[in-house]
Amino acid sequence: MGSYYSLIFSRLFPKKQITLLMVGLDAAGKTTVLYKLKLGEVVTTIPTIGFNVETVEYKNISFAVWDVGGQSKIRGLWKYYYQHTEGLIFVVDSSDHDRIETAAEELKAMLAEDEMRDAVLLVLANKQDLPKAMPVHELTDRLGLHTLRGRQWFVQATCAVQGSGLYEGLDWLSDQLSRR
Amino acid sequence: MTFDSDTYMPKSKAPKMEDLDYIPADLSPEERSELEEIRRRKGALLLEIQRLKEELREAIIEVEGLESSTEGSKTLQKSRHVAMGRKKFNMDPKKGIVFLVENELLRHTPEDIAQFLYKGEGLNKTAIGDYLGERDDFNIKVLQAFVDLHEFTDLNLVQALRQFLWSFRLPGEAQKIDRMMEAFAQRYCHCNPGVFQSTDTCYVLSFSIIMLNTSLHNPNVRDKPTVERFISMNRGINDGGDLPEELLRNLYDSIKNEPFKIPEDDGNDLTHTFFNPDREGWLLKLAGGRVKTWKRRWFILTDNCLYYFEYTTDKEPRGIIPLENLSIREVEDPRKPNCFELYIPNNRGQLIKACKTEADGRVVEGNHMVYRISAPTPEEKDEWIHSIKSAVSVDPFYEMLAARKKRISLKKKEEQP
Repeated sequence: MGSYYSLIFSRLFPKKQITLLMVGLDAAGKTTVLYKLKLGEVVTTIPTIGFNVETVEYKNISFAVWDVGGQSKIRGLWKYYYQHTEGLIFVVDSSDHDRIETAAEELKAMLAEDEMRDAVLLVLANKQDLPKAMPVHELTDRLGLHTLRGRQWFVQATCAVQGSGLYEGLDWLSDQLSRR
Repeated sequence: MTFDSDTYMPKSKAPKMEDLDYIPADLSPEERSELEEIRRRKGALLLEIQRLKEELREAIIEVEGLESSTEGSKTLQKSRHVAMGRKKFNMDPKKGIVFLVENELLRHTPEDIAQFLYKGEGLNKTAIGDYLGERDDFNIKVLQAFVDLHEFTDLNLVQALRQFLWSFRLPGEAQKIDRMMEAFAQRYCHCNPGVFQSTDTCYVLSFSIIMLNTSLHNPNVRDKPTVERFISMNRGINDGGDLPEELLRNLYDSIKNEPFKIPEDDGNDLTHTFFNPDREGWLLKLAGGRVKTWKRRWFILTDNCLYYFEYTTDKEPRGIIPLENLSIREVEDPRKPNCFELYIPNNRGQLIKACKTEADGRVVEGNHMVYRISAPTPEEKDEWIHSIKSAVSVDPFYEMLAARKKRISLKKKEEQP
């Protein structure tokens, strides 16, 4: 019965949809994050050719998460989506020591976009289960997060393959966004 | 052993030097018996030779049979390995490729692997997309070779994208889409020089079209962009300038009305038949009816048949010409260069067996006594003639028949006195 009422309720008062962009280098684990969050839900969507986009319902907020990225030449196109973006999820492979600088640059470029001015930043320090994984404090340093001014940010240690840490990250996001 | 001298002394025959039975009269009895002994040995040797020939013939036949049967089991094993490789590929593309390479069924070059993926026989399109999307340098080379196998000449950008995105399942990761659209744009601009100011413009626009398809058709996106938003999104992508609004509106409408199709896995549709042609290309064909006009058609030669299409992306051919019983010759045409003709040898007014689809969709019999075709260059004409000739002579029964003929002729020779 309870679920029936909540269904009616959600029909009458549709949740606000919040667009989140998810970025990160190749193989950081974005796709895994996306589909782990969807796990357990009945997926009835017709497959579509194009980018991975998933809606995640969590704590009365509906997130539409876009997997974005690519070279700088196409960054201009995403601006159209930035305008509606309240949050940025940055996924980083904690075990990839070689590309951490590249990841830092990518993040910096993304945050420099004018349209991202008000977006909150959730960093998922992914692949924490791997032996060479950098701990959260080291990643925070190397991504230069301490130098950010006027930005709400948070680093969450995750292991997307096991699903650990993901909901803690979403908790922080929904907390920040519901305060607005 | 007694000797019947009668055999050697025919009474009716006049004595000749060549005659085997001839015995000169002036021989002594010793010499005579010695000669008889020599002749007896000769006869025995001839018999022996005959027997050996017989044995050799049987041995040859046996060996031939053995060869064809080991060849048969070899090809059987090979095709089993190929099928296994395809299955492995569909479960794990990298492992599948490694398996095929280790079993010497595929060479580890970007070109060979691209060809294998492009033919796609028995392959899962999602697995192909996964392999082509890998960030590895080698995979990127395969992606480039794969894109180069596509023919986009004279197609507009969306048509070309539709064709491209049918050959594999586009992965959903932005970086993979980015690499694929970049490779696609390079090929598109190579096939259609002058359409875009730069390859980058084409690449950004292609990427933008994928975004549009996602926004308009993915049910997870609630906020559907209007054409105005699509236009403003693409501001400045033409090396800083804007693309014509008309072009963007057409693109928008095309994607809105028809989303990109999810490619089907290697099915039974005709498309599959045309993935591995012996030859394909644009040719001019002279109409068979009363009005003699030249039509530009996309020709595909495969399975001993010639198919022609209006566009390279068409799935159904406009016409099919089975090459059985046809011959090919070069001809001069007063109006078109590099012509050749398909004809029936010793023809007495018959039409060539063929079929074509009318504009209204009806399939009718062909109305050609000959098919006159014009190639763009003399080289292409020669290549087409060569390919068609070899397609006609390669018959699954041809080699079997040839082997049988050889055996029969060998037998006949021996039966002759």
